[in-house]
Amino acid sequence: MKPEVDQILNTCAMQLIGAIAPLLPASYSQSSASLLGFMMMFCAQEYDRAADIRAAENADMRALFADIAGAVNDAALRTKLEAAAKAEDASLKISALDAANHGLRKLLIEAQTHIETLGARDAEKKIWSVLRAAADRRVLKMPGS
Amino acid sequence: MSEDLTLRLQTYLAGKLGARDLAVTGLARIHGGASRETYRFRAAYNGRERALILRRDPPASLIETERAAEFRAYQAFHKLGLPVPEPIALELDGAALERPFFIMEEVQNCSVASIMAPDPYRAHREKIGEQFFTVLGKIAAADPRALGVEDFEGAREPAQAALHEVVRWEKVIDEDEREPQPIARAAIRWLKRNPPPPAQKISVVHGDYRTGNFLFDAEGNIRAILDWEMTHLGDPLEDLGWALDPLWSHGDPAHPAGTLERETALAVWEKASGLKIDRAALGWWEIFASLKGAAIWISAAREYSDGRNIDAVNAFSGWFCLAFHNKVLADKLGALA
Repeated sequence: MKPEVDQILNTCAMQLIGAIAPLLPASYSQSSASLLGFMMMFCAQEYDRAADIRAAENADMRALFADIAGAVNDAALRTKLEAAAKAEDASLKISALDAANHGLRKLLIEAQTHIETLGARDAEKKIWSVLRAAADRRVLKMPGS
Repeated sequence: MSEDLTLRLQTYLAGKLGARDLAVTGLARIHGGASRETYRFRAAYNGRERALILRRDPPASLIETERAAEFRAYQAFHKLGLPVPEPIALELDGAALERPFFIMEEVQNCSVASIMAPDPYRAHREKIGEQFFTVLGKIAAADPRALGVEDFEGAREPAQAALHEVVRWEKVIDEDEREPQPIARAAIRWLKRNPPPPAQKISVVHGDYRTGNFLFDAEGNIRAILDWEMTHLGDPLEDLGWALDPLWSHGDPAHPAGTLERETALAVWEKASGLKIDRAALGWWEIFASLKGAAIWISAAREYSDGRNIDAVNAFSGWFCLAFHNKVLADKLGALA
């Protein structure tokens, strides 16, 4: 049994905000230290979920590409979507998931821009469904809320 | 550094104010937005002591802002009688303090709300809300030509105001994004495809009019509207949309700025501005506000990630605030799809 990373970060943050920041001399230093504490609490939130939200987002985008490729009338774009849809995340390292995520996001922008010109409402709704889910997953809770 | 800055400031002000015996004391940095370093200090001269604020450019700025316009906005609206600190001096070449800066009076014995506070105005929320939206309406009502600020950056023609701002913030995202931003990009395309009607008039836009950017006293009086660093000319609904943004609602979007009920706030603004709100146009400007927010937070993330400005507020903005506005935009635009 050992303290988990999120527990360590939260505990350090509370010590920084509650015990150290008030002892600092200037208001700028005090508020900066408190904000650093908040950032540590956000890091604690992210520690547990970081790989999960990226893997889920990447899976959602790949499934979306498979779903909407048929609505795309640009052959080159359709080929890219079909290829991306078949890929998988080989590593659960955050850096690897982010690299894949950024490539998928770039392709999503290209696909959505194209779909908007077609007036393919069903495909547009599917894209927004994926974007809303991604945005929901990445929202951070304000400490204490 | 602080001693050096004190001496430099003292030398500068002694010359500027013609007071050879001037003494600067109590120089201390305070939080005042990520685009300027802000310090408070005292200047004693000619038998009096003044509480002053120094706003100096940082080594790297969150957003490129026009400091001369900021200073002139303080001048114009202080003269007009709005609660704005008296500006004292502006130096654009920055020789005296290493970087460009300006000095203004410090409005004392006041508080500023943290956007993280759930209910910062408490018993004064309605009183403060009434003033908050009245002052914003008065800014909208003011004539830029009469104020002498008709040369501010921004749109000159009412029909150009909306697109001018979308293009401006799209450029910021183009320059500063570190990773593809599908929600912001979709928002930009939507805003361009669905422009609002022309502005009713071209007004001075504060640019960052929100809770947290004004000082209020213990009796609930707004004493100073601050942070005019993004001021420009444009559609007065731009400021209103920004002020209504849910990020500034202290967790309760039904009470924008953590103050009045939304409809009451809009009625107060209409009365003070003399303008009638086109609700569809306001809806467009509210979506624009969240896009503009996203652009600013993307810029903050870039500054922090590149190590140019490691103030924790940039990490907070580039992470928490960007995630917040991405959700707002995704929910609104997803519902419209």
